[in-house]
Amino acid sequence: MRKRIGTACLLGAALLVLPPRALPRQEAAGVAAAPILRYEIWVELDAADKMLLGKEEIVWTNTSREAVPDMLLHLYWNAFKNEESAFLREARAESMLGRGKAPDEGEWGWIDITDIRLADGTDLKSGLAFATPDGPEHPDDQTVMRVLFPEPVNPGESVRLRLEFRSKVPRTVARSGYYKNSFFIAQWFPKPGVYEEGKGWNAHAYHQNSEFFADFADFVVHITVPRDFMVGSSGKQTEVRIDESAKKTTYTYRQAMVHDFAWMADPRYIKVEREFIARKEVTPEEYRETADLLGLPLEEVKLPDVKMTLLIAPEHEGQIERHFRALRAAIKYYGLWYGPYPYETVTMVDPPYRTESGGMEYPTLFTAGTQVLTSKDILSPEGVIVHEFGHGYWYGLVANNEFEAAWLDEGFNTYSTGQVMARAYGPGAVPMVFKGIPLTWLLRLPKTFDFELDRFAAINTVRYDPVTAWSWRFYNSGSYAANVYMRAATLLRTLEGLLGEPTWARVMRTYHMRYRYKHPGKAEFIGVVNEVSGKDMTWFFDELLDSTLAFDYGVAEVASVKVPRARRGVFDVKGAREEMTSKKIEELDTREAKSPQAKAKAEYLTTVVLRRFGEARVRGDAQVKVLVRFKDGTTETRRWDGQARWTRLEFIKPVEVESAQVDPEGVWLIDANLANNSRGVDGLRRNVVKLLTQLLFTVQNLLQFVSSWS
Amino acid sequence: MGVFKAIGKGLGITLRKPRLLAILWVVNIVFAAVVAFPLVLLVQTELGHSFLGSNVRPFDLMWLGEAVLKYQDAMPAIIGGLVVSALLFLVLYVFLNGGIIGRLLDKEGRPTLQAFFGDCGRYFWRFVRLFLASLVFLILTFGVILRLLSALMNLWLENAWTEWPSVILRNLHFLVALLLLSIVHMVFDYARIAVVADEETKVLRALRHALNFLKKRFFRSWALYLLVVAGFVAGTVVFYAVFGLLSEPTVLFVLLGFVWMQLNVLFRIWIKTLFFAAQAEFYRSQ
Repeated sequence: MRKRIGTACLLGAALLVLPPRALPRQEAAGVAAAPILRYEIWVELDAADKMLLGKEEIVWTNTSREAVPDMLLHLYWNAFKNEESAFLREARAESMLGRGKAPDEGEWGWIDITDIRLADGTDLKSGLAFATPDGPEHPDDQTVMRVLFPEPVNPGESVRLRLEFRSKVPRTVARSGYYKNSFFIAQWFPKPGVYEEGKGWNAHAYHQNSEFFADFADFVVHITVPRDFMVGSSGKQTEVRIDESAKKTTYTYRQAMVHDFAWMADPRYIKVEREFIARKEVTPEEYRETADLLGLPLEEVKLPDVKMTLLIAPEHEGQIERHFRALRAAIKYYGLWYGPYPYETVTMVDPPYRTESGGMEYPTLFTAGTQVLTSKDILSPEGVIVHEFGHGYWYGLVANNEFEAAWLDEGFNTYSTGQVMARAYGPGAVPMVFKGIPLTWLLRLPKTFDFELDRFAAINTVRYDPVTAWSWRFYNSGSYAANVYMRAATLLRTLEGLLGEPTWARVMRTYHMRYRYKHPGKAEFIGVVNEVSGKDMTWFFDELLDSTLAFDYGVAEVASVKVPRARRGVFDVKGAREEMTSKKIEELDTREAKSPQAKAKAEYLTTVVLRRFGEARVRGDAQVKVLVRFKDGTTETRRWDGQARWTRLEFIKPVEVESAQVDPEGVWLIDANLANNSRGVDGLRRNVVKLLTQLLFTVQNLLQFVSSWS
Repeated sequence: MGVFKAIGKGLGITLRKPRLLAILWVVNIVFAAVVAFPLVLLVQTELGHSFLGSNVRPFDLMWLGEAVLKYQDAMPAIIGGLVVSALLFLVLYVFLNGGIIGRLLDKEGRPTLQAFFGDCGRYFWRFVRLFLASLVFLILTFGVILRLLSALMNLWLENAWTEWPSVILRNLHFLVALLLLSIVHMVFDYARIAVVADEETKVLRALRHALNFLKKRFFRSWALYLLVVAGFVAGTVVFYAVFGLLSEPTVLFVLLGFVWMQLNVLFRIWIKTLFFAAQAEFYRSQ
């Protein structure tokens, strides 16, 4: 509640002092251009042998002004082919378990292109060769393949490729694979990189710490599975064909303007369908508030209805409503804040057991993740549902290059998830689980907001890497995650504080709608920030995202001393020389003290020393704000440019100082030490005493526990 | 003597020895204060003058993040210090156990400091040897029996279709671990009691006495042990239920909270003496 009041005040103040620019109308539309790619894929799952047999037709249009002689294709599953892949070498170097764990024997995964031709039948197989676009470190990586065209594809021309491929489904690695008869199939088909004019094909190897990058495309996918399998997929199901004699079913899915396609198949699953009905979910007041905040016509913030599908394991059936409630909240708030969800469907998959495919995003489909035993206080699966749906916006629609600028989707989405969760649910209990049992069943666990956890990681990770590093060049997976998710989210929240909520809301809306169905980078986002705010905030990104500088301003000293009536020494008074001694000053003091106006006449010199403890500095028109509070309740506000390592502020007042505080509005969440942001002259606060008693109690309990082993 | 009667008698004995509880509480709080002092100093230095201190909670990510950042290089030293302190306290309690059991078995005698520490010294080396013997049992329990159980469990879980078998088996495994641990603790409680009650100088002989004693009346002895454990669990639940009501940061509530926490420590100490007293009554009555 306190947080919301604070935000509302900030919003009001910012509206008064800084009217943000309204959004240009055309950006609210977020219109899709014609896609560069078209796919039609026929794939059959051989559940017994864990194989995929596929045919694929790719139509790629050269929208650049260059003739293109070749194409780079991602063959992601070769990351799980052997221990020489970039993915597994990097995983091994880091001794990573879980996501990067190498498959056991017999459980490797791979993909072979068995045939590749142009539409006219020209065989291209002889021109196929594996490529190592990320340098020579992983010479035997086979996740990128180059195909040479017999003739370059000229600007404006299209090329139609017909491929056949054969893949072995891995025992789950990196969210793709199988366990028993459960299959989660992602990054499974040969997929072209992104052609960038002047740079060529952007197609990186599959790395341990990286996700993906592809062009928007129209997909038609025909999935054939054993008769009794339930299928969930990206896109909209348009056809089902049952072949009783072969005991197989073929499902056809179509989806325009997406850049990836994933699906799952499992014979045990329950399928539940619901509608997100916008008029039931969003009140007229909410529409009006949103329109006012964004400076848009009411019609442009209206949300469409969306068909929601949940595929859930039978053992989680009791959690169906939790899943849908979270998804409805996500569709609502992402839609209101950033733009309406443009697709007809969204499919939410409870990840099949032991496929480790939970918590991952694909266009119009995402995986959630839950346990059989849950607690309403722990916001799981809610957090993961909101986050993964949110990736439909930050990655799905605004499709930055996840290899090179992962913070643009993970950071934006971590920030957005925190906002939605705070609005829809409030703080959640610390997710502590023991042997599958949530500890909230037994204990009252503390509740936290997402931003608190994000900041925890953010301030501790700055020393390792800049947020904007390329995904596989981070110090390790921990630095990658803490930087691109949590530090980036904390920085965005800080930027929100600096710009004020209305301006920030318009920045995010403008950025999202302008770059829907596009591949923006950092420069595009900075451009929007500067344009909408009317300020040059480039320094913020230079200082805090591109560098590894810690940000920490604080109050080092605060004290008041009574100003003496006179100073000691020899003074020239009316032509004569007179010495002021301590005794004379004392006599003056005694005389003054007896006067009725003694208190009013007493003056104090208050000194406040501010320090820049970190290396990062405020720049642009930002300054360090300092609020000094005096014992009579009066306050004084000063500003410091924050460039030097320290500054001393002095105040002469008829009252002593009580406290000094930098950043009194709490704008700089990224500040690495909020404890030193304020300093009171009186020590020991009650909560600290309480904390100390609990600390002592904890130690006493630990000792008593130890004694039980004696 | 029945189980309930033994517990009742043990209860009476411990309640008649408040001085014994007081000695143990003082030992606990003094030792804890020494251990916690550097941490208290750290908290006081960081938050004592800061507004953050006004709102700080026991689990406060805003401040914990800063503490981790600032003191991460000192973490090995802090953790090392805590481990060394814990080991020292363990040795101290091996020493104190002699005094506790000695004074509990001397029903009429007052637990004067002299008598208490006299017993501590008298039984110390025998209790050290028993402690070392208990380590062998613990290694057998955790290193062999429970590992074997885990391996069997994992074999079965390898083919599980859902997470239910895993949740159920892992909890069963944990329960078995707790029960086995209770048995090991019980065996050595009786061995310690045998050392004092029978003035047994050979610890292995005392251990054999304990095992023989338990062999004949294992389930009754175990029931007694588990009933005291149940009392401890019930008391802990009550403590936390009331503690949750004392969350206001006013002077009164901070003070009440402190008193309540110390009552909990005292309760834990009392339960420890009750284990010995009830089991000693049971041992001597058979």
